[in-house]
Parts: sequence; C-alpha cells; structure tokens
Amino acid sequence: MAKVLEDTSKRVIRAHGIPAPESRVAESGEEAERIAAEIGKAVVLKALVPVGKRGKAGAVKFAATPSEAKELAVQLLGMTVRNFPVEKVLIEERLAIREEWFVSIVTDKIRQCPAVIATTAGGVEVETLIAERPDKVRIHPVDPWTGLQPFEAKEIWSDLGLTGRALTQAADVLTKLYQVYVRYDCTLLEINPLVLTGDGRVMAAASVMAVDDSALYRQPELAAVVESGSDRAWRPLTELEKEMVKVNDADYRGTARYTEMEGGDIGFLCGGGGGSLLLFDAILRSGGQPANYTETGGNPSEEKVYGLTRGVLSKPGVKGLFVAHNITNNTQIDVMARGIVRALRDLGIDTARFPVVVREAGVNDEIGKKIFAEAGVEYYGEDITMEEAARIMVRRMKGE
Amino acid sequence: MGILLDAGSRILVQGITGREAAMIVRHTLDYGTPVLAGVTPGKKGENVHGVPVYDTVKEAVERHGVNTSLVVVPPAFALDAVLEAIRHGIRLIVVTTENIPQHDTMRMLAAARKANVRIIGPNTVGVIHPGLRLKLGSIGGDNPDRCFVPGPVGVISRSGGMTAETSWMVKRAGYGVSTSIGIGGDSLIGTNIRDLLELFERDDETRAVVTFSEPGTSFEEEAAEFVRQGGFTKPWIAYVAGRFVESMPEGTVFGHAGAMISGSFGRPSGKIELMRSVGAYVPESFDEIGDALRRALGG
Repeated sequence: MAKVLEDTSKRVIRAHGIPAPESRVAESGEEAERIAAEIGKAVVLKALVPVGKRGKAGAVKFAATPSEAKELAVQLLGMTVRNFPVEKVLIEERLAIREEWFVSIVTDKIRQCPAVIATTAGGVEVETLIAERPDKVRIHPVDPWTGLQPFEAKEIWSDLGLTGRALTQAADVLTKLYQVYVRYDCTLLEINPLVLTGDGRVMAAASVMAVDDSALYRQPELAAVVESGSDRAWRPLTELEKEMVKVNDADYRGTARYTEMEGGDIGFLCGGGGGSLLLFDAILRSGGQPANYTETGGNPSEEKVYGLTRGVLSKPGVKGLFVAHNITNNTQIDVMARGIVRALRDLGIDTARFPVVVREAGVNDEIGKKIFAEAGVEYYGEDITMEEAARIMVRRMKGE
Repeated sequence: MGILLDAGSRILVQGITGREAAMIVRHTLDYGTPVLAGVTPGKKGENVHGVPVYDTVKEAVERHGVNTSLVVVPPAFALDAVLEAIRHGIRLIVVTTENIPQHDTMRMLAAARKANVRIIGPNTVGVIHPGLRLKLGSIGGDNPDRCFVPGPVGVISRSGGMTAETSWMVKRAGYGVSTSIGIGGDSLIGTNIRDLLELFERDDETRAVVTFSEPGTSFEEEAAEFVRQGGFTKPWIAYVAGRFVESMPEGTVFGHAGAMISGSFGRPSGKIELMRSVGAYVPESFDEIGDALRRALGG
C-alpha cells in the first residue's frame, strides 16, 4: 500500500464530483500568505505528510488572516510529524462546520471484500467508537463484483439517522467515493471529517487515500506521485535504504529489501520473507544485535546480491556479516556466493578479523560452498539448522 | 489418499509456456507428477516438455478431463485465468502469482467461494504430497526429496521458503510429511490455516500438524477458535516467527505483505497466547520442533 498525500487525494475526489474545499500547496511562509490572501477568508493549514491523526500531532492549524497564515505555515514547515519533516503545507478555505461525520472504505481481510465504515458521531476516533458505541457505527460489507449501489449508500446514512437534503448529499458522496475507491485501486479511502456546513452542504474536509502498490501498473496518474517502498517504513527512507531500493529496482530478478535498524553490529543478509523473521528473532535470542533487516530471495542476480551486500556492509558500526536462508526452492546458492564474495573482496574485508558466517542450502549449493570456502568464509549447508547458524554468528562476534 | 492432491488429481498448468512455468513443469514431471495439459492463449499445438498446450481451459478439460489447475500467469492476467478455470469446472486452483492487485484478488476469491472451488494462494509456493510424489507449484524446486519425504506430519506455512525448511525439520527429526502446503504470503488468500486443519483432521495419513506463522492477519486466531470448537483434535505444533516485530514502530512491514501489525490485531504475542490456550504447543525456538514431534508421535 502506498500512501497518497492529501493534495492528490482531494484533487481526485473533487474530480469525481465529491464536494471539497479548493486546496493549494505552499512551500514557504510567503507563499502561504499569498494563497490565504487570494482565498480571502479564514483558512486551515495542514502539514502534507503521509501520517494519520495530524490534528492530534498539532499539524493542523487555523488562520484568520494572511499574515497569521504565513506565521503558522512557517511553524508547520519547521516541524517533524512522526519522523516525517514537513516540506509542504496544504491550505484551504476553513469550512463553517455544523456537524462532523466519518466515512471510510477499507479492505475487510476476514470477509475478503471491501467494507464501508460510517458514522455521524464524528470527532471521536472511530476505533474507540466501534468498541464503545457500536450502535453509532455502520460497517457494511460490499460485494466486489456488484459494487456499492446507490440504495446501499442511502441505507447506511439513513440507518445513522440522516434524512432530507443531508441524506441525499451524503449518499451521493458515498456512492462516488466507492467509485473512486475502485477506479484508483485504493486499499483505503477515507473522509474524516465529512462535514455538514452551516449552510447545509455536505463536504469532504479531509481525505486519506492509500493505493495498492501492486496495481500501480494500471494507475499511471498515481504512480507518478507515490514513492516506491513508502509503505514499508515508519519514517522516511534513509539514504542507504533509497540506495537499496535502486539496487532492487535495477533488475527484475529476485527481491532485495533493506531496512536500517538503530545501532547493531551484525550485517544481516538473510531471506526469504519468513526465514528472515525467524533468523532475526534467533540472533536477538542469542544475544546478538542486527544492524539492519533484509530479505533476499526469488533467485536474485549476482549484481543484486553484490549491491545489497555492499549496502549491508556500508552501514557504520557493522563488524560482521550473517548470510542465511531457509533451504531455497529456486535461489541459486552459487550466484549468491559470487555476489557476496565479490563484495567482500572489493571492500577489502579480511574474514580472519571480520566474521562472516553463511548458512545456505539449495540449488547449486555444492558450487556455492566451494566459492565461499575459497574466500575464507565459514560455510554451512543443511548440516546445521538456521537457529544453530545464528548462534554461531553471535559467538563469532564475541570472538569465540 | 491425501488432502488436496490425490490419485484423482488431473493437472493443468495455465500460463505453461512462460519461463517460470516451463521450469516448474520440468521439475514436476521429473518428480513423477503427471501434468496432462497446459494453456497459453495463441500457443495451441505447441508442447512444453511433452505436455500439450491449448488456447483455452475449455479445450483442455474436453481433451484431458483436468480438474486441478496451477496458475502461473503475470499479475494482470491472474483474475481472468482463475475465472476461466472456475467456469470450466476446475475444483482446485493453485495460484502462484505474486503482486496481484488487491481488488482483483477480492473478486477472484468471491467468485471461487460462490462456485465452491478451492483456491490455494495467491502468492504460494504450492502443495506437495511426497507419498504419491505429487506436487503442484515451485515447491521443492529441482530436488523435492531434499526436504519432503513421506510421513505422518502435515505442514502448513505462511512462507514459501519456510514450507521447505519446516518439512526438512520434520525429516531431520526422523519423520516425514503427509502433505505440505505454502498457503501464500498475502493477507487475502483462498485457503487459510483453519481450512487446512479441517482437512488434516479427516486425513488418516496425518497424525500431527506443524504450522509456520508470521505477524499479521487473523489466520492463527481463526485456527485456534476452530480447535476450541473441537474441529481439530490432533497434536498441533505452531511456530510463530517475527516476535521482534512487536517492538518495532507500528505500520512497518517485515516479511510478507500479510505480516503487518495494526493496533492489537495480528500481534505474535496474542496469537501465541490464543494457540496455547487451546492446547497447541508453541515452541520458543524453531529447533524444538523435532523434540515436540517426538513427544507428540512417540518413537
């Protein structure tokens, strides 16, 4: 899932007929002042960062005048919201709000279909509301083949107590929202709050959109604005992580994912998806501290393994390298060995002083074993378990 | 017999002329599993390692009576391939394709539920029954015997690679597997742990089950509930990898796409507690699986 910033999600829903305030983006206080002056009314300023609950984090502010907008924009642009530095600010007309509602379309993983979550009791976290006042929330599963029909949208809001113009407008918004959700391959599409204004209009005050990474090939409009790999981190990617995304994207064969950890001294070059989880646990349980997390698998090319190995070893403080996988179905051990050994050689690593422990078994492991052995690397195949290999690695780090 | 695959399985490969599919077909035939037909649009009349290729599933069913399909097509074509298989009466569909758009997967699974067709995957390494030397998918690669030998243990894994390693641990302990299944690394899949426990309960060959789990999803919670209701009564050894993920900031994905934790949902500690509460043995370390099996099976 890739998060889409609010300027984009607002533009998309507006283009599909959902009423929302006109929003513009400023990158400086001066720009914010000019935009606020052009709007000519009280404005709201929001940090454009890919995190939720911005209001709570103090990343949403209200300005009555252009000069106040400038001041608040400068404040926001100096902030870091949940590890994301604020580089842009969204500015829009402040709505006169009579009521705050909430509507979201999510993937219901248990029913395996889309689900609409709606409430007219806004201003509270919906998770809390579901737990404490389930009668105030409607959760409506949708048949992925027929989609959400207008009458279903109407029923949802009617059940929540809406009638009159408010009901017909809210039903129209939800029907269109579902169309956007499908049209853009969203994994999440949320309006929070959906507001009833003082003059009786239903409008999207804030929107949240996440799109399916796997569907970006058919969403060229969004592919240009979302960052590859943005779904996998709780903070912006580090320079090294960005480098590793490039290493991975340079070749379609196999995968190489890299996440930097705080501290740690063991370079962790492992796979696959489940194997890395097990091995990371095992290193910790044995008293070691990995410097990073990685997953490689799916038969990566030598170049990809080489690039990933260099990346893992380039993090400051790394004093050893642990290479391990589950017994592989298709990953060629000789190809892995060539990539790793070449990286060790190019970085001038002396395996007598810098422990390298390998546990690799699978396709072509006899050849792989020879390549590792010739490079002075401590190699194991299926003679030991994954956890035994992790314990050996930790012992070598202690000089044992 | 065996769960999922048995002597009545008549196998089709959709997307058979692709590079990956052709390799899987070669390994599958070498292992001794008959592959009766393949489908690739426009390639009718060709053959892949001797397996005849047709343009449509309809023709393959008419000519060979196939009832089981392995889908090895690119993500953009996976939904259509599965719908075609369902339309023509295929009963078991193993979907290897990774990165299928989520909206397509929801439709695929809804269509299968409606037609009462079983889907394994998507994003699965496949299924193997070493007793009958039947395999479907890349499982085992070019040397299935390395990890998969016949025996009384059922293996269910959320990780493809760990399907092999877990089965190898069973072999190392002196046992073998009845059927091993990689259920797929995604959170939206056709057949989950609970569903397979139900099949293993009825399978006379299976005397115990080992599962390999990761953070995220509610598969373990649903399986535990099934055991609580008495649906599965054989020994269950359940390993959960990725406990460290709980100490990482929320929203980070380690491992497979299905491995995301959100709030209290999908936490390894919660899964472990629940599974233990219904009598599953959840080892602290993966290496304990051998001892646990010996205790469960004796000998």
